[in-house]
Amino acid sequence: MWAYNFMQHALISGILVSTICGIVSVLVVIRRSAFASHALGHMSLTGAAGAIFIGVNPLFGQLILNLIASTIMGIIGDKVKRNDLAVGVVLAFVLGLGSYFLFLFQNNYAGNVISILFGNILAVSTSQIYYLSILFMIVIIILGIFARQLIFASIDPSIANSKNIPIKKLSIVFFIILAITVSMACQIVGALLIFVMLIVPGAIALQWCDSIFKTIILSILVANLSLIFGLYFSFWLNLPVSFFITSSLCSMYLIGFIKNRLF
Amino acid sequence: MMIECNNLVLGYKDPLTEPFSLSIEDNKWLGIIGENGSGKSTFFRTILSEIKPLSGTIRIFDKTPGVFNRLISYIPQEREINLADKMTGFTLIKSCHSAWKYGFDCLNNKLNHRIYELAELVGATSYILQPFNNLSGGQKKKIFLAQALINKPKLLLLDEPLADLDTKSKHHFIQTLRDINAKQKIGLLMISHDMHEIASYLDAFIHLKKSKVHYCSELPCIKEDSYVGL
Repeated sequence: MWAYNFMQHALISGILVSTICGIVSVLVVIRRSAFASHALGHMSLTGAAGAIFIGVNPLFGQLILNLIASTIMGIIGDKVKRNDLAVGVVLAFVLGLGSYFLFLFQNNYAGNVISILFGNILAVSTSQIYYLSILFMIVIIILGIFARQLIFASIDPSIANSKNIPIKKLSIVFFIILAITVSMACQIVGALLIFVMLIVPGAIALQWCDSIFKTIILSILVANLSLIFGLYFSFWLNLPVSFFITSSLCSMYLIGFIKNRLF
Repeated sequence: MMIECNNLVLGYKDPLTEPFSLSIEDNKWLGIIGENGSGKSTFFRTILSEIKPLSGTIRIFDKTPGVFNRLISYIPQEREINLADKMTGFTLIKSCHSAWKYGFDCLNNKLNHRIYELAELVGATSYILQPFNNLSGGQKKKIFLAQALINKPKLLLLDEPLADLDTKSKHHFIQTLRDINAKQKIGLLMISHDMHEIASYLDAFIHLKKSKVHYCSELPCIKEDSYVGL
């Protein structure tokens, strides 16, 4: 099955996205930003809808809208606990805009919008892989620079503040990373299931690991394993990839949950 | 000079204190006492440049506040810690090491060794690798102390460090503070309502009373106040 061009594209793009999701999901869980990743997924739909309407690659629409929304969310909700409110306010506005787009142009691009909603990894083009690779590198570079500050500011914000670590700027950096990751991950699991890739790998890894470094490594492995599992079974059973990705991730989470309850 | 205040007025919008001046030399161990709301924690926040003085000046290690925050470790009375259930005190301490730097610090055996040394110093060796969220309030206090020492500070700000500690832990904690002050040459500023067992070790007190702040090196000066547990 890996001889097919579309499967090779799916695997390459999937690995790029899963690896980033694996890293970012650890931060999402520690910073309790599940709602933000879910909201950015929904906002992606509005960005993609606008982009398709004006004839631009939907990835750009998602990216630009998510970057604007995430910057606003980062500025309003700089404290880890205050994020939810800021996310909710921005989400409400952007979803309203999305419904307006859909209302105006409902006959034009229903098919395209559905592919954004549920993802379509089996139709990834060479140019999309190129764009995903660039975004992958951007996220890795940003994380490489800010990882240490971001991790500590997420774990112990009061002390980070006392050490002059710029909490507010880091909150914006985190949301920008999240915005890029969401825009990438929409290609695979779609806007509706984005939070699965952005929460569950990190949540699974945190069930087993006691350090940040081990957690990130396990989270990357779990995300990639679910991707390969999803592609494999989707190919042979002719069912949606996102179904297998989400069900394998949720099964792994359940195993960890039962293990922690029993032992 | 560790801390130098000139006509300093502490407060948020309204002043909490009248103008006061004082100088604290390096490596001193001072107790800060006063009623609730008298401005003790506000003094710490001013030292850390989290809030600006309403008037007057304050200098920390001969610089304006904020410049040398890396040399100051603060242990607040309460704070939010976002560690996952499995994560340990070891992880918390490690994440604090040079946390202001860029990059990612994952494999550092020297650092691991230092964390174990600090755990031994504060008496937390037996639970440093246990999940942090399952520890008692007193055990967490010791982990916080080890965390505060990881970046080799010159000044420790402690807000009610003896609360939540049982008698045995309190003795050990006080002994550790004495070692830190004497051997590692770290200055200590400590807010506490419980000066009962510690007063004799302190070099002096900063006494906040009815908006007045004064520096007193003698115990009788503060004994008149019923809220000071002496």
